[in-house]
Amino acid sequence: MAMINSEPEVTREYFLNLGPQHPSTHGVLRVLLKLDGEYIVEADPIIGYGHRGHEKMAENRTYKQFMPNPSRVDYLSGFIYNHGYVLAVEKLMGLEVPERAKYIRVICSELNRISSHLLWFGTFLMDLGAFTPFLYCFDDREVILDLLDSITGSRLTYCYCRIGGVAKDIDDQFIEGTLSFIKRLRSRWTDYHNLVTKNVIFIHRVKNIGLITKDIALKYGVTGPNLRGCGVPYDIRKAEPYEIYDELDFEIPVGEKGDIWDRYMVRLNEMEQSCRIIEQAIKKLPRGPIKASGVPVKIAPPKGEVYFPFESARGEAAFYIVSDGTEYPYRIRIRVPSFSNLQALIEVLPGTLVADTIAILGSIDIVVPEIDR
Amino acid sequence: MGYFKDILVGGWSLVKGLEVTIKRLYRPVVTLQYPRHKIEMSPSYRGHIELKRFPDTGSHYCVACGTCMRVCPSGVIKLQGEKDKALDVKRVVHYYIDFSHCSLCGLCVESCPMQTLEFSTEYELADESRWDGVIDLVKYFEESAR
Repeated sequence: MAMINSEPEVTREYFLNLGPQHPSTHGVLRVLLKLDGEYIVEADPIIGYGHRGHEKMAENRTYKQFMPNPSRVDYLSGFIYNHGYVLAVEKLMGLEVPERAKYIRVICSELNRISSHLLWFGTFLMDLGAFTPFLYCFDDREVILDLLDSITGSRLTYCYCRIGGVAKDIDDQFIEGTLSFIKRLRSRWTDYHNLVTKNVIFIHRVKNIGLITKDIALKYGVTGPNLRGCGVPYDIRKAEPYEIYDELDFEIPVGEKGDIWDRYMVRLNEMEQSCRIIEQAIKKLPRGPIKASGVPVKIAPPKGEVYFPFESARGEAAFYIVSDGTEYPYRIRIRVPSFSNLQALIEVLPGTLVADTIAILGSIDIVVPEIDR
Repeated sequence: MGYFKDILVGGWSLVKGLEVTIKRLYRPVVTLQYPRHKIEMSPSYRGHIELKRFPDTGSHYCVACGTCMRVCPSGVIKLQGEKDKALDVKRVVHYYIDFSHCSLCGLCVESCPMQTLEFSTEYELADESRWDGVIDLVKYFEESAR
């Protein structure tokens, strides 16, 4: 006898797994969505698929041996993390770095920031369905990779900064290449604006969508372009200047509302500001040594702890290092911006359409291995 | 009225976008047909490490002190030395690196007291087995002489 379902028909919410192998999650992120038709009722980001244990690894390695790791935490702004790590150790040791090394580090960090933003620009638009800008961005980004390759020897996961300086001096070829790249990038803005910013389809997909308000941003500790998009001019480079950022003249681009459009515009303007920083740094580049003298071979900072925040391409990243006076760090904790930025999704996604989820996720610019680290 | 204006403005923005792509169509091609055309690697490119050849002796200076082995974060390097009785110096016999574990930080190259390590510019290192990543640098050095 056939079973007869006597339950009355009811409408129920539908669960959908976005990821972990979805192409637009840029890594292995899984978002559990509770749907009512096409609308999202609840969103729950689930992380941890890319956990590699960098923090634990640090406890079993000396300060020098941990140097290749930070750039693998966030591989898109690897140089900035490499830079931030040596800055934290230098602060812990009380080491003074030569001026030239500081300038070189800042120039490379800003180049890396531009390359990270260009990659975001391309992949974000690919999420929205535009394939052409992706290719144009990678063409421009390739020049940065070649430039950084010519001095650091690697194209993505850099290990160029050294405790007390940098590994190798830059030459005239690099400086000329950087200046001509900036000129080239500036000539591309009109193309990008004509192709994307003024495009009617793009405007309709991003304006007034994915609002991260000031309150939500501050509540979840959102930083970087996502925070500046809601109109808060907070940038570590201005708030707590490190290296030579207080000597340079640049602005913090801010948005108004905090929708996708604002975040998009903030990142585009930030690239222009990075160009300005590089130009000034090259103009002021002093001569002299690139490595501090008297850096011990065995690095064993005195007992103590240090928290060093720096501005990565995605927001405020930081290294918290506890030293027990030995060659091995007692504990290293890495504060990553993507983790906090992702949490804002819980409040932003409910009430939006599934199709907009991809756009919102792309606009937040997360790097999943950075969250899992 | 606003409806038709939106269509016109929107349509014009699409035409402007197409203009950009059409212009690009007539610019030189930037991509390379990889296996047939190759770019030159920059001299500072970091491939796997190799023993440096010094022109004065035509050989390397490795004395198998093991500094690189100790400084390596990933335990990539394994080496063995033997005393050369005629010259009364220690010489390296086996120098194995497991390139599949290497993170190319350059600590070995910088820490070498004899300055006899350098990065090769080889980049086509994809192989079928994980053991193909294990390279004997002494053998590699002798082969590169030929």
